[in-house]
Amino acid sequence: MDATSLTFYFLEALILLSALGVVLVSNPIYSALFLVLSMIGVAGIFVSLEAYFVAVIQLVVYAGAVTVLFVMVIMLFNLEKEKKAFSQGFFSLLLRVGIIGAIWAVVASALKSTFVNLTPEDMPFLDNGGSGVKVLAETLFTQYVFGFEIISVLLVTVIVGAVALARAKGGTHA
Amino acid sequence: MLESMDFTAGLSHYLMLSALMFCIGMLGVLIRRNTIVMLMSIELMLNAVNISFVAFGRYQGTDEGNIIVFFVMAIAAAEAAIGLALAVAIFKRFKEINIRFFERLKG
Repeated sequence: MDATSLTFYFLEALILLSALGVVLVSNPIYSALFLVLSMIGVAGIFVSLEAYFVAVIQLVVYAGAVTVLFVMVIMLFNLEKEKKAFSQGFFSLLLRVGIIGAIWAVVASALKSTFVNLTPEDMPFLDNGGSGVKVLAETLFTQYVFGFEIISVLLVTVIVGAVALARAKGGTHA
Repeated sequence: MLESMDFTAGLSHYLMLSALMFCIGMLGVLIRRNTIVMLMSIELMLNAVNISFVAFGRYQGTDEGNIIVFFVMAIAAAEAAIGLALAVAIFKRFKEINIRFFERLKG
């Protein structure tokens, strides 16, 4: 048990507990704060995998932009008390939790039976200093430049669509 | 098999963390009624998949895992923006953001 593994287990506990917090806390603003905590944990996991640039982007985009968007919409709604935070019915709840447990059991048993655990000694040595920004940029703008352009088209569409949906006289009202 | 049970964090530990996080997010989508918290749970699921991508990419020594994570992040941000715009539209009409009001949407 070395320091890297201890860091991993600490981050794992942080991520899973705050993810449970997002799901189980009934006040949405606390869910948003737990989401920030979880995203910071995921950024730490990225650092432990030597993906430093992705970790920084994770902090800026998720812990920064997306969560601020969530918190701003929650403030806009001014929900003093949420009436039905969870879906009703004990049997249906049991069914849903059972389905998720079954899915997790399938995934976990598949992981246990098919994978020999690769340890950090099996990691290939990265001579670019851990997925440096320059290497990432060269891959992104040469080999994957088509996907990059498609993403830009998608973002423009989303901006227009979000403005059209949230406008005062939208067509979405029954 | 016993050797794979050691406590040094390796690839399958990252994948197990990813699977657990994905299942927690799915639990949130299934049991919550609040649309905003459901969107947050979808963000959790997308992040779980990102952990898988980065872990596989690191253990293969390639950059493709990181590149795909950029695309996933952009799509996640787009999805959050559209979902929140829909939630705003629902709230203006019904003064509540329960998911059952979404069946009343029309174009």
